[in-house]
Amino acid sequence: MLSHFGAQIVDLGSALLLLTCFAIVAQRRLSACVDLFALQSVFLAATAALVAFLTGIHHIYIAAALTIIIKVLVIPRILKKVIERLNVTRELVMNVNVPTGLLICGGLAMLAFFITQPLIPLGFQLTQGSLGIALAIVLIGFFTMIARKKAVTQVIGFLVMENGLFLGATASAYGMPLIVELGVFFDVLVGMLIVGIYAHRLQDAFDSVDTSQLTTLKE
Amino acid sequence: MAWPLLILVATPLLVGLACLLVRGRRLIEVLQCCQAGTMLVSAALLVDWVVGQQEASVDALLRADALSAWFDLILGIVGATGTLFAVGYLGEEYDRQHVTPRRHRLFFAQFDLYLAAMLLAVNVENVAIMWIAIEGSTLSAAMLIGFERSKAALEAGWKFVILNSVGIALALFGTILVYYSSEHLLGVTSEALRWSELYRVADGLDQTAIKLAFVFVLIGYGTKAGLVPMHTWLPDAHAEAPTPVSAMLSANMLTLAVYAILRFKAVADRTVGPAFTGKLVVGLGLLSVAVAAIFFLVQRDYKRLFAYSSIEHIGIALLGFGVGGIGVFGGAWHLLNHALAKSAAFYGAGLVLLRHEHKLVERVSGLLRSMPLAGAAILLSGVALAGMPPFGLFASEVLIAAGAFTARPDVAYAFLALLALAFATLLYQVFRMALGEPVEPGRALGWPCRLFTATAVGVNLAVLGLIGLQVPSGFNTLLSAIVRIFGPGMGSP
Repeated sequence: MLSHFGAQIVDLGSALLLLTCFAIVAQRRLSACVDLFALQSVFLAATAALVAFLTGIHHIYIAAALTIIIKVLVIPRILKKVIERLNVTRELVMNVNVPTGLLICGGLAMLAFFITQPLIPLGFQLTQGSLGIALAIVLIGFFTMIARKKAVTQVIGFLVMENGLFLGATASAYGMPLIVELGVFFDVLVGMLIVGIYAHRLQDAFDSVDTSQLTTLKE
Repeated sequence: MAWPLLILVATPLLVGLACLLVRGRRLIEVLQCCQAGTMLVSAALLVDWVVGQQEASVDALLRADALSAWFDLILGIVGATGTLFAVGYLGEEYDRQHVTPRRHRLFFAQFDLYLAAMLLAVNVENVAIMWIAIEGSTLSAAMLIGFERSKAALEAGWKFVILNSVGIALALFGTILVYYSSEHLLGVTSEALRWSELYRVADGLDQTAIKLAFVFVLIGYGTKAGLVPMHTWLPDAHAEAPTPVSAMLSANMLTLAVYAILRFKAVADRTVGPAFTGKLVVGLGLLSVAVAAIFFLVQRDYKRLFAYSSIEHIGIALLGFGVGGIGVFGGAWHLLNHALAKSAAFYGAGLVLLRHEHKLVERVSGLLRSMPLAGAAILLSGVALAGMPPFGLFASEVLIAAGAFTARPDVAYAFLALLALAFATLLYQVFRMALGEPVEPGRALGWPCRLFTATAVGVNLAVLGLIGLQVPSGFNTLLSAIVRIFGPGMGSP
C-alpha cells in the first residue's frame, strides 16, 4: 500500500519537474527563468528525498541535500549576479516564439515517452514513469539552448538538462554511487563558474551577451 | 600495484597543482620539463608492463588493459612533447610581454590539469568516473581555448563550452541507461559501473537499452571527437586556442573521445552484435572524411586547415573500428600515427604564427627556406597526414581499406575515393606553404623557444618515422589484444 502510494507521489514529483520546464520555455524574463529553475531543483530534491525514504538507500539523501545547496542556493545566486552585472532583463527576440516553442516541447515529451516505452518494464516498480519524464526534461533543456539567444538562458537550458539527468539517475536507477554523484556536482559547479567567467569576458569584449552577435568565425 | 600507471596519472596532476603555488618562470619551466620526462618514461614502462602481464591496476580505481595502455602511449608521448612545446611557445610570448607572469603560471596549471584529466579518463575503471574526468578535461580545455581573450578566442571558447556541455550531458544519459540495465544483473552498487564487470555480463544486458545508450554516447562523445555534423566547434577552437593547446586538442582530446566511444562499442558489440554499432560508426566516419576533404580547399587559415585534417583522420580511425577485424588494428595504429603527425604539424604552425603573427596560408610561402624547422615539421607531417609512405598512416589506411573490403565493399570504394580527394587537397595547401619563395620577413624567435620546440618536433618526427618503418613487437602484442577485445567485426555473420 505504502509503495503504491509512494510510487504515485514520485510520479507527481517528476511531473512537477516537467511542468516547470514548460514554464521556463514560456517565460521571457531572465530572473523569472532563474527562479523557475530554482523551483524545479526544489522539486527534484523533494523527489530524490522521497525515493531515498521509500527505498532506504541513504546516500540519495546526501544527493538531495547537495541539490538544495548547489542548485537552489548557489547557482541561482551566481546567475542573478551575472544578470545584474550584464544589465539584461528580458529576452526580446527568440529563435522560436513562445507558442511554437511550447508545442515543440509537447512533441518532445511525447517523443521521449515513445523512445523509453520498451525500457519501462526494466525499471523498478516504484519509479517506472520517471525515465520517460527524465528524457523529456533533457530534450526540453536541449531545445531551450537552441531556441534562446542570451547566454544566460542557454546556461539555464543546460542546467535543466542536468536536472533531467539527475532525475533519471535517482528516480529510475535508484541513484548512482555516491562518489559519482559528488563528481557530477563538482563538475556542474565548476562549469557554472567557467560560464560565469566567460559571460563577463564576452560582455567586456562585445558589450553584449547576445550570442547571435558571435559571428566572426565562419567558413 | 602498477607504479608506472599511478605515476603517469599523478604526475601532471601534482605538477599542475604545484604550478599554482610556486613563483618564478624558471622554476615552472623546470617543473614542466620534469613532467615531460616522467610522462614519457612512465608511459613506456606502462606499455611494457601491460605487454608482459596483460593488465596493470591500482586498487579498484585504475585499471589499464591493452586498449587503455594504447591510449596511454598516445597521450603520454604527445603530452610530453606538447609540454615541451608549450614551455618554448609560452616562454617566447612571455619574452615579448604578451603574457604576464601570473597568466604564464595559470596557463601551465590549467594545461597540466587538462592532461591529468585525460589520463585519468583512459585508465579509470568506473564508467561514470570516466565521464567525470572527460567533463573535467572539457572544462579545463574551455579555459585554455579562451586564454588569449581576443574576441575570436572568446567566441570559440563559448561555442566549445556550450556544444560540448550538451554533448557530454547526452553522454551521461547514455551512461545512466547502461547503469539502468546493468544494475539488474550486478546490483545497485558501483560494481554495475565497472568496465570489466560490464564486459563479463554484456550478453545478458537489455538490447533496447544498450542500443539507445550507444546512440546517446555516440552523439555525446562524438561531439567531443568532432564528428560531422557535431563538429562546428572544432575548427574555431583549434584556430583560436594558443597553439600548444590546439595540438593537445587534436592529438589528445579527440583521441580520448574516440576511446570513450570504443569502450561503449565493445559493450554494445557483445550485447547486440557488431552490425548495429558498426553501421552508425562507419556512417559518421565516412561523412566526416567527406566534409573535411572538401573543406580543405577553401581554408585560408593554416590552423583551421589542420583542424579539418583532424576531423578527417578521426573519421578514418572510427571507420576502421566500425568495420572491425583488421580494421580495428588499422584504426588503433592510425590514432597513434595521427596524434604524432598532427601535433608536429601544429608545432610547426605555432612557430610560423610566432614569427608572422597571422594565420593566412597565402602569406607564409617558402617556409622551408625562411624557417627550416617549422617548414620541415609542416612538410613532413603534411606528407604523413596525406597518407604517403613510409609513414604509418599509409599502412593504417591500407589496413582499414582492406578491412572495409571484407565487410562492405561499397564503403571501401567510397572511402578510397574520399582519401584520394583529401590527399590532393591537403597536399596542395601544404606545398603552397612549405615550398616557394618567402614573402614576408617576420620576427626572429629567441633561442630558448627554438631549443624547446626543436626537441618537441624532433621527438615526434623521430618516433613517427621509426614506427612507420617497423612496428615494434610490443606494439604488435597490444594491437592484437585490442583486436580481440572487439571481436570479428561487421564482416562476419
